Order: sequence, then structure tokens, then C-alpha cells
Amino acid sequence: MDFSAILSQFPNLSTLAGQFFVGMSRAMILFVVAAGLTVVMGVLRIVNFTHGTFYMLGAFIAFSIAQWLGGSGGFWLALLIAPLIVAALSFVLEGALMRRIYDQPRLMQLLLTYALVLAFNDLIKIVWGVHYKSMANPIPGSISLGGATLPSYNLILLAAGPLVALGLWFFMSRTMMGKLCRATATDREMVDALGINSKQVFASVFVLGCYLAGLGGSLIAPTTNIVIGMGMGIIINAILVVVVGGLGNVWGALVVSFIFGIGESFGVLFAPRFALVFPFLIAATLLMIRPSGLMKSVW
Amino acid sequence: MKKRSLVLRGLALLLVLLISFSLVGGCAKPAPTQDEGKGAEKPVETVKVGIIDCYTGAATTYTYDALDGFKLALEEIKEEGTLGFNIEFVTRDDEFSPDKSLNWAKELVMREEVDLLAGVINSAAALGVSQYAKEEKVPFLVWGSMSDKITGEAGHRYVFSMLPNTAIIGRSGAIQMSSMPYTKYFLAGSDYEYGHSVVNNFWENFTEMKPDATKVGELWWPVREPDFTPHISTIRAAKPEVVIVGTGGADMVPFLKAVNSTGLNKEVKIWVHTATDLSTLKPLGEEAPEGIFGTNPYHYYFPDTPENNAFVEAFEKAYDRAPAAFALNGYITGHSIAEALRKLDTFDKEKFIDALEGLTIDSPVGPVTIREYDHQIISPMFFGTTVKSDQPFLVAGDIVTLAGKDVVPPEEKIKAKRK
Repeated sequence: MDFSAILSQFPNLSTLAGQFFVGMSRAMILFVVAAGLTVVMGVLRIVNFTHGTFYMLGAFIAFSIAQWLGGSGGFWLALLIAPLIVAALSFVLEGALMRRIYDQPRLMQLLLTYALVLAFNDLIKIVWGVHYKSMANPIPGSISLGGATLPSYNLILLAAGPLVALGLWFFMSRTMMGKLCRATATDREMVDALGINSKQVFASVFVLGCYLAGLGGSLIAPTTNIVIGMGMGIIINAILVVVVGGLGNVWGALVVSFIFGIGESFGVLFAPRFALVFPFLIAATLLMIRPSGLMKSVW
Repeated sequence: MKKRSLVLRGLALLLVLLISFSLVGGCAKPAPTQDEGKGAEKPVETVKVGIIDCYTGAATTYTYDALDGFKLALEEIKEEGTLGFNIEFVTRDDEFSPDKSLNWAKELVMREEVDLLAGVINSAAALGVSQYAKEEKVPFLVWGSMSDKITGEAGHRYVFSMLPNTAIIGRSGAIQMSSMPYTKYFLAGSDYEYGHSVVNNFWENFTEMKPDATKVGELWWPVREPDFTPHISTIRAAKPEVVIVGTGGADMVPFLKAVNSTGLNKEVKIWVHTATDLSTLKPLGEEAPEGIFGTNPYHYYFPDTPENNAFVEAFEKAYDRAPAAFALNGYITGHSIAEALRKLDTFDKEKFIDALEGLTIDSPVGPVTIREYDHQIISPMFFGTTVKSDQPFLVAGDIVTLAGKDVVPPEEKIKAKRK
């Protein structure tokens, strides 16, 4: 790598600003997915590998709805409906399978969720075929932001993250169900002792988490290839975010998503050869400093 | 009582199942016996081709095209009816994983007892299978991977490259681009064998043809990169005049999508091999960037010759879509196998290889030759620019034809590499 050549023409401000916004929009997708995962892991205490699969399902379903409805308006409706379909599917799955593994050893949980990943991959193969899908960008073109050119669609991503964070904050601290979630996450036995139906809490949390995974998938769908296996890439990063941010801590997930997204996009700019390892380096460093996660973990 | 009725029901179910199975079996049986009868009248030797390729995931846009082209060739040969051999094939899905390809190759050779191997789009996988083919002395016709190592330094008697490789691609791009007035170049691509090989071959040829060209930066993104925008900003920051890109498969469509949405194509010139191919432009639809330079071995609308039109018509009739570049690879492979077999009385792997060496066949893009020395197919390359069309997708415009003999690296270069 021509390191000196890059350094000699140190990027100007507009490049830095561009890279910042790009990193932010990347972080937002990661946050939406990781927020769902952290809630599920915090309350249900399961390492849910299926989360990435719901993300992938969100993308595939959004693709089909958008194609079925046609036009750019189709996508916005798909963005609304696809995560709901994913959530409905996760509701069924929770009742049928997940419910049975909450008290099982962690290895059993891993076995089931990973088996579901494989099963869903084949299911997608049956329903959507083996070819990758590519869907039309609802708002093509680019805009100028702080002197940097950015795809217009990234604005949607930039808006989606804070909206999800606000929504989650409202749910967690202002609604009864949210309070129950937090209570269950902190002390499950006490919640049971108070006569609260924790089954219902668990089901709602699982559905909420999967809704967010589906939302992440639908959001990313127009910018990338929709392909079997796309869930695996994000689940690794999302688990990292959740662990580093503190299990079950939504704010931790938000902060770490930012660090990851921006770290990666600046990594590409300054040392492209090592961009891939940046998130992992950050994760390792943060975990060395704070082994229980950046913010308070509920585990 | 209850238990007994359950047992009875179970028995009844079993009986029904048995009857239905025997019925189905009975219906299915007559067909093969008829076939056997025919075979007995006129004994035809069967040559079995074992095809290994990625039939799940992102590379399928190419692999199914190649397979369909191959199938079409076999059907044409059968219909024509003068070949003294019956060509059969079996397929195996390696899911783009080199260890799976190698396992399938072993299974095909040892269990299925195939006479030839073909396919393999993953370069690492193709090189692995090629090594195995060499050890087992089974002819292997690559119609997927474009690695120049296959017929270059890793070449041997049993491997054939049935499509233009990265050495040819890089040289073709360099020849056309060297006549343009630009001096500042940025090299980028997917961080895998194919990406590096295309760009290195381009740059090697290009700096020879145009010594004043300078490299202002280099960038390699991981394969299946989900988001290209940070990479594009990095390219932009280096302020090049031309970007040379080596990417394909899973990354091609999202990369070009990102080029379009960031407007990079309006600021700099970009060359990407197969950017002008149907398999790239069709999924991109209206979102394909205009003015991208691309080299491509085949377009269904060019050249406008009777041979090409006949191929397109037959392909569309059989598969209800126009053929993209990889369809030609499979098609040429099918016909090459048949033409080589015509020179044989009984099938023999060594004699089959002798027959393939130096073989020239007529193809939709004119006569193509398998070079005797390195087993590399020599076929023309087309250089074009993406333009809007009356179709719902972009096509290649201002197409320039580069003759196969001009873009293929000379034999001496290959000889030097193999030392």
C-alpha cells in the first residue's frame, strides 16, 4: 500500500465530512439491528443467531413487496410492512420453538438458533430462488452535505437511527411493557414472584427485537445485494456491538455502533488495507479496558 | 380398545402407502426399459461431463447462464444427430467454496466416473480442481474462473480455459484506454484473486504502453462489501482522472449502484471489466451509471451477424431471456467438446486433449481457437461504454472489437511464467 502517497495529500475537510456522514449512516443500520439484538439478549438471555436471518428476511420481503407494488412508492410501503411480517413470523417462532429454550443450557440455545439460520437459508432458497436480488433505489441521486457528496438515500438511514433510538427509549422508560422488560432483564425471579406473566413479556421482547432486525434489513435493501447469507455478516458485527456496549444496554449499542461505523469509514480512508480489522481492534481495546462492556450490562 | 384401533389404523396407512408406492413405481418403470431397448439397437458411447459450479448465492447470475449455454449446445448437437457420441452431464453446487469444489471433483471422478470436468467460477476453486485434474489425468474445461494462472504458471496438459482470462482482460482494457489523454489513475477492486489479477494485468500492460501514467492511489475492499460509499469517498479524495476497477460477482452491481448514487461517474472515467455485460446492466436497470467503460467478451446485440442472431434466437426460445457473456462460454465449451469428439472413434482422455489442442470452431462471435501451447481460448473482446437504450436497462455503446490474437499474451510470456 502506498501509505506515504495517501498521507502526503491529507484529505481536506469536505472529504472528512463525507466520510463522517457515510460512517454515521453505516452506524445507523448497525444500531437498528444491534438494538434489537441487545434487547433480546438482555431480557431473554439467549444468544440469538437467528437475528441475522430476520434481517435477511426483512430485505427479501421488502424486495418482494416493493416489486409487487411497483414504483418508488412501493418501497416506502415495503419499509412499513416488511418488518411487520418479520415480526409476525417471529411471534409464531417464539411460541413454537424459542419459548422452549429459555431455561436450557446455552449450548442448546446456540444449537437451535443456528439450526434455524440454516433452515431459513434453505427456505429462502425455495421461496426466492438462488439468484441474488437487487432493488431500485427509491431516491436515486446524490446531495451535498458539508461539502461532501452523499447518496440521497443515506439521509433516510441517518434519520432512521435516532428515530429507533427515541422509540426504544420511549418504550423502555415510558410504557408499562417496557418497564416490565427492564425489570425482567434485571431480576427475572422477582418479576415472576410478583405474579407478572413473564411469558408474555418474553414474547413481546422477542417480537420487538425481530421487528428491528427486519427493519434493518428493509432499510439496507435498496443499497446492496439481497443475497442468502447476508445475515451472517451483520450478526457478527451486531454481537460485537452488543457485547462491547454492554449486554441489554440500548445506549451502549448506540455508542458502540457509532464508534464502529465511523471507525470503519475513516479506516477505509486512512489505511484501507486494515479497514477490515478496525472494528475488531476497537472491540478488543474496549473490552480490555472494560471487560463487562462500555456501559452497564444486565447479565 | 383404543390401542387396538390405533394399531389397525397404522397398518391401514402402511398398506395404502405400499400400494401407492408400487403404483407410482409401476408407472415410472416402462420409460427406462424403452430407452434401454433403443440403446441396444444402436450402441452409442456416452461421454459424461461433471460440472462443478456455484449454483447458490451471488455468482449464480453467471453460472446459470454458462450452464444454459452448455445445455443449448448439447441440444443443438443432439438435434443435428451426426455426432457418434452421446454427451451427458451432471452438476454439483460448490456454493463458491474451494474445498467443496475439490470434494465434488473427487466424488465426480471416483463415484460418478465422469470423463471430463467443467465449470468452476471461483478462481481458488478452479486452481484446486485443476491440480486434482492433473493428478487424475482428467480433462478439465474451465468456463467460469478468469484467473490467468489457470493457463499461465499453473497450466498443464489437462486444463483448458474456455473464456478470456484476466491477462487478456487487462491487456484489452489497457490497449483501448492507452489512447485516451488521461495521466492520473486510481487502482481499486475486490480483495480477491480475480480483482487483483485484472488490475495488475491492466497496469502492467498499461504502463508499458503509456509510461507517463501515474498511480495516485490504490484501494481494495473486502468481497461482498455491503456499503461502497466510504470507498468511493476515498477514491474521490485522491482526485484521479481515471479509476481502474477489478470487481465482479457479488460486488459488481452494488458497486456500480454506489457509483451512480454518488455521481462518481460524472467526475472521473471508470473502467470495469464486464460493466457493459447484460448480467450487470439488467439487474441495475435504470440505476446503472452512464459513461462507464467496460470490456466484455459478448453482447447479444453485437456483432449483428447471422451466427450471433441465430444463437440469441435459440437461447431466447429455450430460456426466455437474452444470453449474457457467460452463456457464450458454456455454449462454446459444449460445441468444442463435440468438435473434438468428432475426431475420435472411441473416447480416450489423452486423444480427446490432442483433439482439443489447436481446435478452431465457429461461434456466435466468429471463429475461436483453443491455443495449442497453453490451452487458452482465443476469442475477440469488445470495448464499450454504458449508454441509455430503448430497453429498461443500459447497453454498451460505441463498441470497438479487439481481435483475439491482439489481446492474448504472446506464448513467450506464458513460457517465461511457467519456468
